[in-house]
Amino acid sequence: MASSTISCNASDLIPLLSGGANATATAAAAEFICSRFETVSGKFTDAGYAIDNTYLLFSAYLVFSMQLGFAMLCAGSVRAKNTMNIMLTNVIDAAAGGLFYYLFGFAFAYGAPSNGFIGKHFFGMSDFPKPTFDYPFFLYQWTFAIAAAGITSGSIAERTQFVAYLIYSSFLTGLVYPIVSHWFWSSDGWASPARSDNLLFQSGVIDFAGSGVVHMVGGIAGLWGALIEGPRIGRFEQRSKPLTLRGHSATLVVLGTFLLWFGWYGFNPGSFAIIFKSYGTSPGSSFYGQWSAVGRTAVTTTLAGCTAALTTLFGKRLIDGYWNVTDVCNGLLGGFAAITSGCSVVEPWAAVICGFVAAWVLMGFNKLADKLQFDDPLEAAQLHGGCGAWGIIFTGLFADKTYVSEIYGGDPNRPFGLFMGGGGRLLAAHVVQIVVIVGWVSVTMGTLFFVLHKMELLRIPSEDEVAGMDPTSHGGLAYMYTEEEIKNGIMVRGVGGEDDHVQGHVGVL
Amino acid sequence: MSAALTCSAADLSSLLGPNATAAAEYICGQLGTVNNRFTDAAFAIDNTYLLFSAYLVFSMQLGFAMLCAGSVRAKNTMNIMLTNVLDAAAGGLFYYLFGYAFAFGGSSEGFIGRHNFALKDFPTLTSDYSFFLYQWAFAIAAAGITSGSIAERTQFVAYLIYSSFLTGFVYPVVSHWFWSPDGWASPFRSPEDRLFGTGAIDFAGSGVVHMVGGIAGLMGALIEGPRRGRFEKSGRAIALRGHSASLVVLGTFLLWFGWYGFNPGSFAKILVPYESGSSYGQWSGIGRTAVTTTLAGSTAALTTLFGKRLLSGHWNVTDVCNGLLGGFAAITGGCSVVEPWAAIVCGFVAALVLIGCNKLAEMVQYDDPLEAAQLHGGCGAWGLIFVGLFAKEKYVNEVYGAAPGRPYGLFMGGGGKLLGAQFVQILVIAGWVSATMGTLFFILKKLDLLRISEKDEMAGMDMTRHGGFAYMYYDNDDESHRATQLQRVEP
Repeated sequence: MASSTISCNASDLIPLLSGGANATATAAAAEFICSRFETVSGKFTDAGYAIDNTYLLFSAYLVFSMQLGFAMLCAGSVRAKNTMNIMLTNVIDAAAGGLFYYLFGFAFAYGAPSNGFIGKHFFGMSDFPKPTFDYPFFLYQWTFAIAAAGITSGSIAERTQFVAYLIYSSFLTGLVYPIVSHWFWSSDGWASPARSDNLLFQSGVIDFAGSGVVHMVGGIAGLWGALIEGPRIGRFEQRSKPLTLRGHSATLVVLGTFLLWFGWYGFNPGSFAIIFKSYGTSPGSSFYGQWSAVGRTAVTTTLAGCTAALTTLFGKRLIDGYWNVTDVCNGLLGGFAAITSGCSVVEPWAAVICGFVAAWVLMGFNKLADKLQFDDPLEAAQLHGGCGAWGIIFTGLFADKTYVSEIYGGDPNRPFGLFMGGGGRLLAAHVVQIVVIVGWVSVTMGTLFFVLHKMELLRIPSEDEVAGMDPTSHGGLAYMYTEEEIKNGIMVRGVGGEDDHVQGHVGVL
Repeated sequence: MSAALTCSAADLSSLLGPNATAAAEYICGQLGTVNNRFTDAAFAIDNTYLLFSAYLVFSMQLGFAMLCAGSVRAKNTMNIMLTNVLDAAAGGLFYYLFGYAFAFGGSSEGFIGRHNFALKDFPTLTSDYSFFLYQWAFAIAAAGITSGSIAERTQFVAYLIYSSFLTGFVYPVVSHWFWSPDGWASPFRSPEDRLFGTGAIDFAGSGVVHMVGGIAGLMGALIEGPRRGRFEKSGRAIALRGHSASLVVLGTFLLWFGWYGFNPGSFAKILVPYESGSSYGQWSGIGRTAVTTTLAGSTAALTTLFGKRLLSGHWNVTDVCNGLLGGFAAITGGCSVVEPWAAIVCGFVAALVLIGCNKLAEMVQYDDPLEAAQLHGGCGAWGLIFVGLFAKEKYVNEVYGAAPGRPYGLFMGGGGKLLGAQFVQILVIAGWVSATMGTLFFILKKLDLLRISEKDEMAGMDMTRHGGFAYMYYDNDDESHRATQLQRVEP
């Protein structure tokens, strides 16, 4: 006869022990035994905290390494003359984000108890830690916040004043993003699946690690910045077709992409926050637990990215005629951005579908951007905004009943994916998520960028853009390979032909 | 009310009545097994935590290699990276042979350890292989720092000699003083033996690692003199810029990443409840340490960003990176015993300390290609003082063991004893490292083994002693060379 808990009630135990005549001794025996069981229970609780915090902390460190990945991806994707600028924006993202998220970002996001719109406790981490939130959780959420701000920097690269950058980044990390994360991830949020009552469409939105909360927010913000300030000089000047302003180092692009892939294993599986939880009916009854779900999430993540990469590889071979590593890298990342929403609640075979479609979504949005003369140096709006939105829809179609129930608990009749037989309410909630995020981010960040534009604080002057931001605002060039270069400040250029803006390929690594 | 898991069958059977011995033994046996399984679980959890922290600290080698590479001229890239690779490799060997023994070897007196040479009689109850690996990762970090100060002009042989000496002897002895339970200045000593009743608090090594590396670098760079062309005859300083800002940023971010193993990992154990069954335990302290680390670095970076904008007129990414690292070097000493808001103060001051030390270096014509002495030595020293000012009583007692009347930070109401111990630490480290490494560098110089010739320095170390340039962007084949040409930038 197995027991389901370790707790022990002396009054239950005493009748079982009453073979002996001495009632006092029996009571003492019961006390003796029960108190030891209490200790056992306490020690399991302690072990659980240690295990879960180890898991969450290392996941946070992995998500942090995505900053580095994005910095290298950005650097490799822009021209050499703007390298220091874009990397500085990535460093400052993390630093300014640290300060503002500590001061009020975390409070707006998770300051419970509160209302459905915004949080209101833990400003400057006061009253912290609580049983609900400990420091590792704060650190983990900080790494997510700075990821969102990093995404936007890609859209407005190579032509944005640094001051504008500081302003929008603080605003995004300190206010716009935390509020969105409150809606979908806080237990108080109006659209959260973890609410105790009044779930949106009796379901809530399932955006497990943030295809919407992180990727769409970053991507839509980038969309507005890039729209309002306009394309880079030279990008759409020829009537026949857009000019590719190629990045200066494919090596850095691949380095960055792989680091992002590496870090994504903290981003997606880490979003469980807790690993020490069995799914069996009683403790010790099963090998299957949240640790399995964590592993499955790492697998779905992997499969979506891989499929997107391969699809892009062959798609681009057909369309452009050659095997293109930087496009494959972007396709890969688009697959990850898409699976981020449903990684924990779908089967691995579904993740393959997710990645396949994500690749086409990205290629389609890129074609559309060219047609509309929208210039995004990192294709961030297309990738994070577009593939992020697809990911949200995907989850509404393919979320599996068992997994939703294991992770989100609650009503056994809660909605799940449409194609899995779960009805349309989850999908409806997800459409609402897309609309609401687009609306909120457009209103806030669009207005901010517009105001900056009107105050002439947004875009740099064209002479600076042609010369490059590094020599004009950052003290010099990023690269100095030969003595001559050091002496004369030479910049590498392509030779002759119509393509005066095409960079030569003396890269960095 | 819960009791220890120990179970005495004799006690229990008297409570259970006349024929209960077997029952009592059975129950006690089960509880004993439960207790043992908990012990096993704790070892597994703590070792997992420590091992992954060690891997993170190791990744700082990669970070420092990239930072160094990006900060020197292209013609010296292979040289500096080789020194970083060898740091790790030679350090591995020497720390195994005797470094670990000097640092943590068994039960010894206050100056130096003397057991576990080549890991004999190892592992013990208190120290397992994960701990050795973790400490090795720290040892090679210290040696790496020094290489930055003497970059671009030091003979490779000199490098091998000083690196082995530092990792195998100088550094382990310092770590013994402040981190071994026997060390004369250690806060882990038995209460009646502690320096000023407290011991010096240097949690992850602002002094033990950063000052040691920085002061050793100071000695080397002072004795061999500045790089050619760095200071004109008039005294004006010429910036000898590094060749790749991308590598500098890559390296900085990798160091930031690895610092999450360096600072929080120094707890070594994560499964330590502060009150049983409560959500607050050592895991909270570890998380808080990761947060203070983050805030100090972030604040130092932002302060440097705006400070340099005021001073030089532009936004400088490589300076911001150095400022960031200075903030980390400073918070390293007190990361576990201060509040997050105090970490912000730490980072802010660290940025100013670095800018100030750099100005001073220029004034006295001291050349350090990585500003390592200023950053690790200067900000490291500030970090030790910072602990003496801001250490919080509750955290000091949680991390170092509760003792009534234990001193803590001056500004937090804890008196001046801790600050006094910190000053002693600064003086002693500066003295010991100057005496040992200063002497070594001086001898190497007298033997003509330290600095390379002027001719080699102008040509670049890669060309003259490492087989050629680090970068080959053109083949000898003319075809591909025609595709790109260097052209002057149009005004």
